[in-house]
Amino acid sequence: MRVEDLYKKNAHSWMVMGRDPDRREEVIDTNQYLIQNNGRGLLLDPGGVENFAVVAAEFSKHFDLANVEAIFASHQDPDVISSLSFWIQANPKLIVYVPKIWVSFISHFGVSAENMRPIPDEGGVITLGGHDLEVIPQHYLHSSGCLSLYDPEAKIFFSGDIGAALLPDDYTDLFVTDFDEHTQYMEYFHRRWMPSNSAKMRWIAEVRKRDVEMLCPQHGAIFKGDDVGRFLSWFENLNVGTGWSEVR
Amino acid sequence: MSEDLYTRKMREEYDTIFRQCVSLNTELHKLVPLAKQMHLLSSNAVSSAARAGSEGDAFRVLTQDIQLLGDDVAICIDDTQQIIGEIVLLASNLARLFSSFVTYGELLGHIEKYDGGKTSPRFFEFGKNVIADDLRENNTRLSRSIGVLINLLSPVAMLAKKGQYLAVCSSVEAANSGEYGVSFEAVASMLRELIRQLSEQSARQRALLRDLSESMEKQQNTMRNLLYAR
Repeated sequence: MRVEDLYKKNAHSWMVMGRDPDRREEVIDTNQYLIQNNGRGLLLDPGGVENFAVVAAEFSKHFDLANVEAIFASHQDPDVISSLSFWIQANPKLIVYVPKIWVSFISHFGVSAENMRPIPDEGGVITLGGHDLEVIPQHYLHSSGCLSLYDPEAKIFFSGDIGAALLPDDYTDLFVTDFDEHTQYMEYFHRRWMPSNSAKMRWIAEVRKRDVEMLCPQHGAIFKGDDVGRFLSWFENLNVGTGWSEVR
Repeated sequence: MSEDLYTRKMREEYDTIFRQCVSLNTELHKLVPLAKQMHLLSSNAVSSAARAGSEGDAFRVLTQDIQLLGDDVAICIDDTQQIIGEIVLLASNLARLFSSFVTYGELLGHIEKYDGGKTSPRFFEFGKNVIADDLRENNTRLSRSIGVLINLLSPVAMLAKKGQYLAVCSSVEAANSGEYGVSFEAVASMLRELIRQLSEQSARQRALLRDLSESMEKQQNTMRNLLYAR
């Protein structure tokens, strides 16, 4: 399991964890992110039941998880959030930010309404230890209720499944090292799992309004520096919602 | 025995209990049409007695007993349907909770290996203890519900005996009732058949309940060892 700091300045930091070598073959690899600010923690897409023990154990080494006050779920998928009940059993006061339309669905993961903070379709702001994080709509990319999260101080943009890649097992880098080479791992995923070109264009316009140094997906490798712009251009030119023809 | 072995044993035991509960549910569900047939039989018996007029007076007394028997069987069946639903739910809860208990055990196993980790194991022990409490509570409720079911089913054997006796009396009455004897005998024969089915099903249910009670006892011993081993 790889754990790395993405950003660290004063009392504010970002950490990523991914590439679990011990996961079962049929389980998709996921990246989990932990934002810390003034000793308070926010977990982004903490993962499924399957990898809860590994994720919690790894983050435990680096941060007192008793200080994680909230979890942000970009959408409702099991690989994103099915571990929720475990986190809440350990900390019954935990807050869970979820897209509003998924509240009644995410309740099936054993979460009660008191823990959930529904985020409206238009997005909003999450405050962590006095620091504001922007929540940006990402609907239909791929879920019909989907959210990104942007940190203006760290200039990190968490993009959920956008930018995801289905990497081979020997790809252990946490960052994209050769963008052109990397597109082969992303293309099918985006054509198959992203259904809407118009939603895609709206989201790209939102990202371009912001100063982004890292684009962090929930699967695959992180885009850094110029690769962020390269990814946006590549995505802009990709005709999404077209992967189905290949699976027929 | 190591914790791992207890864990494996316990998982198997929870799976067994769940499977046994589902089998018992299926078996008990077969009683529902039987209750309906008992009701139909009561109606037939009343009609036969009515058609016989004053010559059916003696049989009419028997029909009242057949009706009461049908009501008792129906009440017993209704109550068992409700309690078996709870039992299956509790057994499924136990299997799910135990899976969560194992996951926390795995996590704490990882954490204990680290030196100088930032999170105290106590943080996750809290979660594990919440699950252990739920396991104990669900276990107690399941044992209690199985006890209730055993009590609910215990009169069935007695009802079956009563049914056999009524069938014999109905046949005797049929033999003494001349032209109306045919319809009385039809009631007696239907009663014998229903009572035979009730007795067979009751025997199967008793056997399943005995197996389930034994599995519960085994599982409770293993759980005690696992929860208090550390």
